[in-house]
Amino acid sequence: MAGLVLQDVRKSYGGLEVIKGITLVIEDRQFMVFVGPSGCGKSTLLRMIAGLEEVTSGSIDIGGRDVTHADPSARGIAMVFQSYALYPHMTVRDNIGFGLSLAKLPKAEIAAKVATAAATLQLEHLLDRKPKALSGGQRQRVAIGRAIVRDPQVFLFDEPLSNLDAALRAQMRLELTDLHASLDATMIYVTHDQVEAMTMADKIVVLNAGQIEQVGSPMDLYRTPQTPFVAGFIGSPKMNLFTGDLARDRNCDMYGIRPEHIDLSLTDGMWQGTVRYLERLGPDAVVYLTVAGLGDLVVRSEGEIALSPGDTAFATPQAVREHRFRGNARV
Amino acid sequence: MTRRQYVLGWVTIIVFSTIFIVPFIFIFLTSVKTVSQAAALDFSWPAEWHFWANLVEVVQTRNYMLLLAYFNSTVITVGAVTLLVILGAMVGYVVQRRPSGWNKVIYAGVLAGLIIPPAVVPTIWVLQGLGLFKTLHGMILIQVAYGLAFSVLLFRSFIASVPRDLDEAALIDGAKPWQIFYRVILPLLKPVTVTLIVVQSVAIFNDFTNPLYYLPGKDNVTVQLTLFNFQSQFQSQFNLLFMNILLVTIPPLVVFIFFNRQIVAGMTAGAVKG
Repeated sequence: MAGLVLQDVRKSYGGLEVIKGITLVIEDRQFMVFVGPSGCGKSTLLRMIAGLEEVTSGSIDIGGRDVTHADPSARGIAMVFQSYALYPHMTVRDNIGFGLSLAKLPKAEIAAKVATAAATLQLEHLLDRKPKALSGGQRQRVAIGRAIVRDPQVFLFDEPLSNLDAALRAQMRLELTDLHASLDATMIYVTHDQVEAMTMADKIVVLNAGQIEQVGSPMDLYRTPQTPFVAGFIGSPKMNLFTGDLARDRNCDMYGIRPEHIDLSLTDGMWQGTVRYLERLGPDAVVYLTVAGLGDLVVRSEGEIALSPGDTAFATPQAVREHRFRGNARV
Repeated sequence: MTRRQYVLGWVTIIVFSTIFIVPFIFIFLTSVKTVSQAAALDFSWPAEWHFWANLVEVVQTRNYMLLLAYFNSTVITVGAVTLLVILGAMVGYVVQRRPSGWNKVIYAGVLAGLIIPPAVVPTIWVLQGLGLFKTLHGMILIQVAYGLAFSVLLFRSFIASVPRDLDEAALIDGAKPWQIFYRVILPLLKPVTVTLIVVQSVAIFNDFTNPLYYLPGKDNVTVQLTLFNFQSQFQSQFNLLFMNILLVTIPPLVVFIFFNRQIVAGMTAGAVKG
């Protein structure tokens, strides 16, 4: 196992720079998640680490070795693709053992390694099936098995759960976390789903337009977002962000308060608004208020609250949970 | 099914069986007739059945020329189709997977191969210059040259439907480019390969004009050219001619019936996500 160092990594397509100088240290055995909106360059960055995209400038070190221009197979990495990328004409056994057979390992050794990986992932009974006879979750496991047998220094995951349904995704999140614990490996995981990022990561890198917005633990990003982008991106429903008079009154350019950090009352409070829409999620409800002079305000309240659209409600932000930004930075 | 669809279905079946089966029945009936009855060239029931006698005579004519023709045609077909599959898949793969400035030039070449009609006399000069004229391997190369453009286009469009992730997964697994091609991509091209094998082998096996131009000589005869044995300016033996037609039609027909299912799969594969 090994850590990974990116030093001012850049990538341009023609005149268009999509990765604008990324410097990042990923520690040994860390579960690092790259998160960001579509087109922010997170997948490109992962593919550069994998060696599937050329690096325009900068350097990539894996385990203290410069691999900037090394072949993908010589980098000590294994990758799990969004589409799984299983070889359709091979059985599960051959899929998992393909890399080993290319490396011309003895047949007995390949069989032993495949058996170990299959046992780890509970795939033993599926070894003679072709990928088309597997369910989505099983295919995902085979793809992970193919990564495990290579015994890599770093695992790379490119949105591996995005093709699964919600229930299976939750289960696979748990399994991946377990796998990280049992393999004790460095893992880099790309996703646009902040739930995956929050639940699985040791550390999250938030990317936007080819640049790092913030690096930190999930709760760091939630508690103290350093930029308005991170503030808006992490957390669901999104943080309420206001500019204009409200922000100026509070001595900043942009003022933010999370929906769950606003107290809702039927009788009194700082802002009076009309309920426009209500989403009851069971344990809690998301209330969309229209506040005069402020605009839309989203509030998370307890699930049984006695409100319906058209009602009047009062909202009060919790003072210690406020976020203020000036320029593009937190104050 | 509505009444209209039902009627339309039957009309279609009748029309197409008339177009495809009636000529075949005509060939068969004429091939078993005597010389004199066959000369009438009419759609009548044979007065005497000479199936075996005609068959033996056709096979024995000109010192078993038909057997030699079967051998030559088979060598040309197998050789040319093998090269077409391997070269077509390789060129199609490189053109589809590695975009470069050369792609336009290659496309222009491929399209030229489809559009520009072959010039016979200059081709013969070239063959003579290379010492390939009147040889089977020269004929194989001619068939490859004529079929390669179609083959490349067919493979290229099929390879476009194979996800690039597979190449990349194999690359990370440590495969060299040729291993990616032979162990990952080529096995996935089976449907389109079968299509190509059938379409091209039928065309090459049945080719009449190209062997006529480029492969003269008694020893180089191909199956279609054996038809000349029974038809000339002053004398035609239609019963034997049609028996000969029957015999040379059978191998492609068998290939076609045998691979029919896969051909359809190959032609529609990649049309929808599956």
